[in-house]
Amino acid sequence: MTFLPPDVKNALKRQAPKAMRRQMEKEAQDKFKKIKKEMIEEFLSNPITQEIMAGPSAPNISGTLSEKTNLFAFIGFDQGTEPIAPILNLLNGLTLQYDKEIKNKGLGISFRVDLPTPEDIFSVTPLPWATGRSWAEGIERGLSGLGYLLRKDGGRSGAAIQTRVKVRAGKFHNQPYISAFLRRYRKRFEDLT
Amino acid sequence: MKEQFQHQLTTAFSMWFDNFLLTKGEAYTNTTGDFFHYTDNRLDSRYQAYGSSYKQWVTDSSVAGATIASGVCIGGDFSGRDDGVVLDFDNGRALISGSNTDLDVTGEFAVKDFNVYLTNDTEDDLIIENKYIVNSRLPSGPWNYIEPYDDVVPAIFLSTDVSENKPFAFGGMEDTVVHAKAVVLADDTYQLDGVLSIFMDSVNESIPRIPMSGYPITELGDLKGGSYYYTGVENAYSEGTEFFVDKVRTSKLSDRTRNVLANELYVGFIDFDIQLFRYRFQ
Repeated sequence: MTFLPPDVKNALKRQAPKAMRRQMEKEAQDKFKKIKKEMIEEFLSNPITQEIMAGPSAPNISGTLSEKTNLFAFIGFDQGTEPIAPILNLLNGLTLQYDKEIKNKGLGISFRVDLPTPEDIFSVTPLPWATGRSWAEGIERGLSGLGYLLRKDGGRSGAAIQTRVKVRAGKFHNQPYISAFLRRYRKRFEDLT
Repeated sequence: MKEQFQHQLTTAFSMWFDNFLLTKGEAYTNTTGDFFHYTDNRLDSRYQAYGSSYKQWVTDSSVAGATIASGVCIGGDFSGRDDGVVLDFDNGRALISGSNTDLDVTGEFAVKDFNVYLTNDTEDDLIIENKYIVNSRLPSGPWNYIEPYDDVVPAIFLSTDVSENKPFAFGGMEDTVVHAKAVVLADDTYQLDGVLSIFMDSVNESIPRIPMSGYPITELGDLKGGSYYYTGVENAYSEGTEFFVDKVRTSKLSDRTRNVLANELYVGFIDFDIQLFRYRFQ
């Protein structure tokens, strides 16, 4: 085994990150873009996302409501709104940025990916009838049928109560959504080499 | 079945919630009033029920300034527990021994601004389906007793929702998180905003693990041992790890949607994440 003299080692530590930065950044960016693309595609192909994007007449492909109604109507969104858009904006805004040179543990540079946390997502996904609560968090933890009942025409007259049986039969089933998805991609971005 | 973690959490959380609201918000009113006789078929035949106009009197003597009932005046003379009077704090009434149904009964007590109930009902059940008797805390006649047992508003309904264990430390220690929630049904926005504000600030509070035996109320609604101090019970169970209020989110039912409700109530939600590091089955 060949040992480098200490002054050469120190010179390498000082100079290598600067010399390699452009090349490493390019390689990292390519890998980052690929993962980001996969991430957005996976999010858009998630049955929950697809069902909400399809609007009030979509079938319950996510299986969260036993096909009694669909998520868009159950949550109580107004027709024409795009509840998925704020999440997509956050994911599209994801960037890879140069962070710092690595000097102590080997040679190289580190990058930073500002992946949103579940809380970031929950803060941009308010329930239409109680804006302090998040529908995306509700998918994971449980949602009441309140939004659906409140949206029914003539809720005061009892029409909503007549529909109760239907809603109760289609009790909401929680599903993993944002938190598990972000956890998986956090790991992939951390492993980006 | 012996007492489990979830039973302990429910007991401790409801007692803490009640005390926090009463102490931080001074959410009670001291009052005096007449009691009215009525027939209660569920009641032991040894007693006659005399109801006040308000449900859920304050039981907690550690709430500064609150008048905790210790008896009633019958024909102008004070009668307490030693004279055969049982105070049913939950139903806001006095149960008086004997068969006399035309006694002149008055009393002094603190009534909670919000009744606090534990529930398993869903939010839609609570808000849309249930028809509540409004037991307003604003004085207005004509005076009469309030029916026992049924839930009345203004009220706060507590429930625990999803619970999950995550591995935390070697040796099998779990990070247990329970999502608890409170649905607030208020007469007006002042009350609602007050409750939401108080509990928004409850983040990072710790709650001692009070077992079910620490619950202060008897089957007739009176206090075990005649008095109850939350701070005393809290101190008695302060050993060991406590429940931790890790996260609190508050929100209100928007006015646009509130308008379709049959009752003119203001609705709010408080979502808690209660955390405890523990070993399973402990």
